Formats: sequence, structure tokens, C-alpha cells
Amino acid sequence: MTTGSSARGLAPHLAAAALGIVVAVSLALAAGRFGDAMPQVATGGDALSVAFGDAKAAISLAMVRKADSYFHGGIDMDCGDAHGHRQGQAHDHEGDHGHDDDHGHVEGDVAPARDGCDPWRWINARVRAPEVHRHLERAEAVELMPWFWAAVKADPHNADAWTTAMYVAERMLKDVDLARRIAGEARAKNPDSLEIACAAACLEYGGGHGDVQAAEALFERVRSIGKAKCGGRLGELNPHDAEEYCRALDYLSKIMADRGDSAGVQRLLDEARSTGIQTPVLDSISRRLP
Amino acid sequence: MKTFLRQMGALVRLSFVELWRRNDVFGLLVLALALMVPLSMASPFGASGASRYLDEAALLLIWAFSLFIALGTGSRLFPPEFESRTVYPLLSKPVSRGRVLFGKYLGAVSASWSALAFFYVLYFGSSLLRGGSASSEFFQAVALHFAFVALAVSVSLLGSLLVTPSANLTLSSIALAGMFFFGRRLPEYADAISAPLAWLVRLVYAAGPHAEFFDMRQRLVHGWGAVDAGVFAAVLAYAAAYSCVCLALAAAVLKRRRL
Repeated sequence: MTTGSSARGLAPHLAAAALGIVVAVSLALAAGRFGDAMPQVATGGDALSVAFGDAKAAISLAMVRKADSYFHGGIDMDCGDAHGHRQGQAHDHEGDHGHDDDHGHVEGDVAPARDGCDPWRWINARVRAPEVHRHLERAEAVELMPWFWAAVKADPHNADAWTTAMYVAERMLKDVDLARRIAGEARAKNPDSLEIACAAACLEYGGGHGDVQAAEALFERVRSIGKAKCGGRLGELNPHDAEEYCRALDYLSKIMADRGDSAGVQRLLDEARSTGIQTPVLDSISRRLP
Repeated sequence: MKTFLRQMGALVRLSFVELWRRNDVFGLLVLALALMVPLSMASPFGASGASRYLDEAALLLIWAFSLFIALGTGSRLFPPEFESRTVYPLLSKPVSRGRVLFGKYLGAVSASWSALAFFYVLYFGSSLLRGGSASSEFFQAVALHFAFVALAVSVSLLGSLLVTPSANLTLSSIALAGMFFFGRRLPEYADAISAPLAWLVRLVYAAGPHAEFFDMRQRLVHGWGAVDAGVFAAVLAYAAAYSCVCLALAAAVLKRRRL
């Protein structure tokens, strides 16, 4: 085959690519021009939103799962470690909660695949990495960042990706400035998210060693977002938001208890009870009462 | 023997020149640069130092390109010869059909290997620039990838003698890419579905080309070390055996073909 015929062979593909670009641009323009007339199209979104829509959320979740796989050295452990690690912050008022590198698994605790009489399985199990439980060391955790970044680029409303990225930056990389930058970006893109506001407040609190005043202001911000969401009727908050709301109250109660404000702690406990959810946070707050 | 080597040399040279003359490799290189340069310049959240995602993306591209080149090269060995009838003067020479097939296969494999080596040299160079170094698993990964390319060319060559070129490209790429991504999990899928389909899945698992055996990206990217020498040899033996079976079938088909 000559170069000329190769070029001729490429022509239909180039034409198809050009047509695809024209269609994509037309769709993006149409979404902007007729956005109001097409309620099924998200207004104010970019061309990617128009083209992929809900698929972006699925892509974002896949990116978070990829980060979890990276955390385990490329192995899909599917044990939700990143979540487990981050949620450990909920009652971490005094500092390191002590399980950011070890949460009960021991090296090699994953059962090896049974080969039986299947030679293909035998080869597969040995060519792939051994399924032993291994975590990234502290500084290596920077390898997780591109996946969280990709996750929030795909779906800026993926609060889980934002808060886990904050956690990794603060606890594993020990880079509070980076965590603050992520928190700032997350809050700017999700001003109504209790989860993100609460995570940003926890970051400032820094286990009691951070900027407590700034943290208190942010926890108060969580309260105001929560109240705005339910019109002051805390019992109508959805369970997830109610959990975050109570988390913020828990931290505020700790700050008030440190100041000796028992009446304030009692008010917070009543407020937490008015959300109507059963959470260990209620016990945590009540223990601070004299 | 001397004649055999001369004939093989000529056929290999022909395939080699054809691949590099088509400029496919350079097109793929431009595509790789267009994807990798922005990725390498990205600084997620302003954090620097992450490099595994770059390795993973680069290796995935190398795998995709090598599959594209291997299938393209293998599938173009005979159909153009039949179409343009140049196969007649070729077979009028004192050379058997089996020897033509084997020579063309060797040519396609060596041409695909040269393209793969080119991509790996670029990958290794970029890895060195980022502070990486040569490791035993890197050389194992490259060797297994070369074996995979030999297998893919044989699959595509066999397909080119059985079905039309477009059908061959489609079926071969589905078979190899499907096995690459899902081959390991086929027994689990078979267990989860009803009997007739489960048997089909088990048949595919037993006889399909297990492209996933050659994938050492996980070990390479995450530093899990090399595979055992016995396993490495078993995978190479699998590639050799599978390629031989495909070539034997292709030779039988070509021999029975009326020209």
C-alpha cells in the first residue's frame, strides 16, 4: 500500500471526526441558546456536561474507586478504606485517630485465589500482583491526588472525592496548605454542601491544635447551611445532612466545653436531638455536660 | 537451508518496510504525545510528585497501539495479495504456501515488534527523565508484551483467511481486548448466568486468547516486583503454543484455498 492510498483511506475517518466535532459544537451551542426550552439539558454546563450528563457522576465515582485501588497498590480491595479513614475524623477531637495507615488488616490477610485444576487461573493469580493488603506510605499518597482531581473535574459535586482529597492532603501528606486549597475550591463549587463545609471546619480545627476560632466560624456556617436547607425544621434534614449537622454540633460542643459553657453544650445537645437521628454524637455531646 | 533463510529474509523485509512506509506508527506517536504532554504537565490541586498515573496512561496507550498495529499488520498480510492477484507470481516461485505464510507472519511480527520497541524506548526514556530506573519487572513486562504481539498477529492472520478484512479486525479486536479486560473474571460470570450461556462463556475461557496473561502493568506501575521465572516461562510457552496452533490452522486453510 502506498502513502497516497493510505491518505485516501484516512479521508472517511477524518470526515467522520470533523462531523463529530461539528455535532458536538452544535449541541453545546444549542444547549446555551435553547437551554430554557430544553429542561432535560443542564443549563450553565459545559460541552462535557451536555455530552455526558449523568455519566459524569459515574465517571467521578470510578475515579474515586481508582484512587482506592492505588491506595492498595493497584489492587481492588473493595473495602472502602478511603471512606473509613476519612470518617474516622468524626470523633477525632484530640489529634491523630491512629488508623490512617493501619486499620486492622495484616499483610497477606486476603485469601489467595483457589487454583483448583484451572491452569489459566493459576497463571492469572501469579502474573497479577499478589493480593496482600498493602497501603501507600505517607509521601506516596500524592499518587492518589490525580484521581481525586479527575473525580472532581468529572463531577464537582462529588463531596466524597473532595473530602477524601482533603483528608489525604492533611493526614497523609501532612500538607495543610494543600488541604486548605482543596477545601477552598470545594466550598466555592459546593456552597450548600454540609459535608464539605464540615470537613473544611474539621481541617481548621486540626484536632484542637489548629485555628479554633476559624473552625468555630465554619462549624457555625454548617449550622446555618443546615437550617437554611430545612427552613429551620431540623427533623426534615435528610439523614446524611443530619449526620453532618450533628458532627458540627459535636465539635462546637467540644469548643464550648473547653470554654466552660455548659449551658451552650446543653443547647447543642437539644439541637442535635431535634434532628431526630440516632447517632453516637448524641452520647459524645452529653458526656461533656457536668 | 540457505534458500529458506533467503526467502524468509525477503518476506520479513517486505512486511517491515510496509509497516514503516504506512506512517501508522508516527500517527500513533503524535496521538500519544497529544494525550501524554498535557497529562504530564497537569498538577492536580497544585500537588507535585505524582507519576504513577502517567506510567499507567502511557502503558495503556502502548498496549492499545500495539494491538492496533499487530491486528492491522496481521490482517493485511494476505487479503491485499488476493485482491491485487500478486499472490500468483509469489506462489509461482519455488516456495510453498506454508513457507509464504510463515515468512509473512515472521515479517509482520518483526515489524510489530519494531514499533513496540520504539514505543517502549520512548516510555523508558520518559521514565528515566522522571527519575525511574530499569528493573527486572520492566524487562519481563516488555518480553511478555512482545509475546502478546506475536500471538495477536497469529490470531489476526488466521482471521484474515477465514472472514472479510473488516470482520476480522472487529472480531479479533473484540476477542483480544475482551480477554484483556474481562478474561480473568470469565469463570465468575459463567457461575452467575444460566446454563447454555454459561457453557459458551466457559468455552471462550478455555479456548480464547488469554491476553490478560501478558499484562504486567499493575506490577510495573505499583512496584510489585517481577513474576516467578516458572510463571514467566509458562506464559511465554502459552503464547508460543497458541501462535503455533493459529499458524497451523491458517496454513491448513491456505493450503485448501482455491486460488
